[in-house]
Amino acid sequence: MVCKMAMFMDLNISFTKDKKTLQNIIETAAHLGYSTVAINYTLESQQKKPEIPKPASISDLFDKLPVVQGRSRPIKVLNRLTVVATDPSHFRPTSEYKLFDLVAVHPKTEKIFHAACMTFEADIICVTVTEKQPFHFKRAPVNGAIDRGVFFEIIYTPAIRDSTMRRYTIGNSLGLMETCKGKGVILSSGAEKPLELRGPYDIANLGILFGLSEGDAKAAVSTNCRSVVLGGETRTTAFGIIHTVKKPPSAPTPSDKDESGETDNPASKRAKMEQ
Amino acid sequence: MSPELERCSRNLLICEKSNFRDERARYDIHVSKHFFNYKLSMVIPECASLPACIAGVIQTFSSYYRVRDLPVYKFLQEDILQKVVKNGHFYALSYNTRIDEDNTIAFLPSGHLIMSVNKDTYEQLGLEGKPSQYTHRKVQRYVVNVDLTDKSMTPGAKTYQRLITSLKEWVPLKSDFLISMKMTAEDDGGALQTLLSQYSFEEYRPTLQTHTLKETPCPSLHSSNLHGDEKSCDAHRFLEWLGAVSMDISCNNEASSFLSTYVCPEPWSSMSQGLLCTVTGFLIPEDIHSLLLELRHYFDQPKFTSWLSITVHGFADSPVSWGMTEHGFLKGGENFYNFVCFENQDYWLHMATGSHDGCPP
Repeated sequence: MVCKMAMFMDLNISFTKDKKTLQNIIETAAHLGYSTVAINYTLESQQKKPEIPKPASISDLFDKLPVVQGRSRPIKVLNRLTVVATDPSHFRPTSEYKLFDLVAVHPKTEKIFHAACMTFEADIICVTVTEKQPFHFKRAPVNGAIDRGVFFEIIYTPAIRDSTMRRYTIGNSLGLMETCKGKGVILSSGAEKPLELRGPYDIANLGILFGLSEGDAKAAVSTNCRSVVLGGETRTTAFGIIHTVKKPPSAPTPSDKDESGETDNPASKRAKMEQ
Repeated sequence: MSPELERCSRNLLICEKSNFRDERARYDIHVSKHFFNYKLSMVIPECASLPACIAGVIQTFSSYYRVRDLPVYKFLQEDILQKVVKNGHFYALSYNTRIDEDNTIAFLPSGHLIMSVNKDTYEQLGLEGKPSQYTHRKVQRYVVNVDLTDKSMTPGAKTYQRLITSLKEWVPLKSDFLISMKMTAEDDGGALQTLLSQYSFEEYRPTLQTHTLKETPCPSLHSSNLHGDEKSCDAHRFLEWLGAVSMDISCNNEASSFLSTYVCPEPWSSMSQGLLCTVTGFLIPEDIHSLLLELRHYFDQPKFTSWLSITVHGFADSPVSWGMTEHGFLKGGENFYNFVCFENQDYWLHMATGSHDGCPP
């Protein structure tokens, strides 16, 4: 089921083979109040024969998912693939990509950045934060990405680890903000250790440092992430209209929902007429 | 540094000065309109222990209930609606629901039902509402305000039926609730008890904590100088001091302290002892009003202090702050008011709200 609300999400938690660390990070995220996290698998395309990683099953990781702080519901864990691309041929949406809930692309050159914004079937475009961005963010591709519903991601852990990285993070993100005006940005951690995570409200504050306004910064950890997840869900469907699912065990099926939607409209008309 | 970084997020503070004996004083209205309060803290300088009469009033505070997974439509059933919700002293607020993430529901004593819901729920509900005032770029939240005392909301009427169908069949909204009700002579809360007994619920009493402050610097206040001058301190700095005192932050500004460099605002005098008393719970305005009446009589006998203060904090996740003004949570969701009562029955009233909030009355 889709997450309906503007809940806090961290859509980038680095995958490690160390199961214990990964569990710890997710538990910390749940404790900090994140309702959804995504485990990130990176595909370095520069290698000769890149092998698309297989996402690990969540049920292997946890018998019982940790409960979000102050809530009764468990945290939701997604899988995400980040393709680091130096050449347009590196990003090839194959059926292996479909195993992931989210697909991100990390463009290394201006040409690929342009292609990622305008044509790639991705949900997220990563912004380089560990070195100076080698190109300028042009208005046309950035606006194109915003119109297509592709989001730019800024990760904050390098900025916590190291002061030089912090300078690059702030510099590159201010460069992006100049063009995108705070629209279509998400903030996520990229954490490799539990201690690198920060609470959602702290990150919203940190976003101000990256050139976002207060409202944009909060949207960057909540509503924008929701759009990304919803976008990721529709990517596996036919035009976001037809979606095949395994037969659910009990009553609430998509057709029920449609019916209630239909009954909505005439009823509200009636209410208006009464006044 | 960029100018945006130096800017503090928006907040509002309203200060007024009046006298309790003044007929035009509106303090009781302001108190009764601030519906959902979770904490009150009193600071009484030069006082060693809580006076028996004040402790007595706190003892009479209404108890409150926490009920789990209660469907909202249950409140709208005919007998509950007539006997409980519309009796004028009924308060209910959804618990563990966050105003910026979840659907939040509140029943006001005026007989209004306020539902602050996200876009998806709103569209499924099919009830008439308004987009939230504190919308960022796209509307993600709507506020549905239903006047249950209205003629169209009498059980059996068309609009009433629609509301029930929405909440019962289309979107069976349910939530944990905090419920409190001032018992009146003709009503002993029987109907409410019957409703609660169908669900798992607990009854709570407001908890009282007292703490004695020793040798604390304390700002000097003069009732005539609300805005502060060289003889007394201004409202912002006074509230900051109150916050420091209630959080037990040292005001000494010792060179060796790395934790706090906070200093008591000038001019100050040292108080040998003071009382900090905190009551937490689901506190209803009626009780706070009776406590305020008692505090006015504190100065009937001569005292060493010329003022005392009481601060009342509202729930950060309540959908309303004062009256039906919409309340939101950007970073803090603070909404509170503070009375400084003086010997001569003058009072200062400070009302403050955070970024996503209307102006206090």
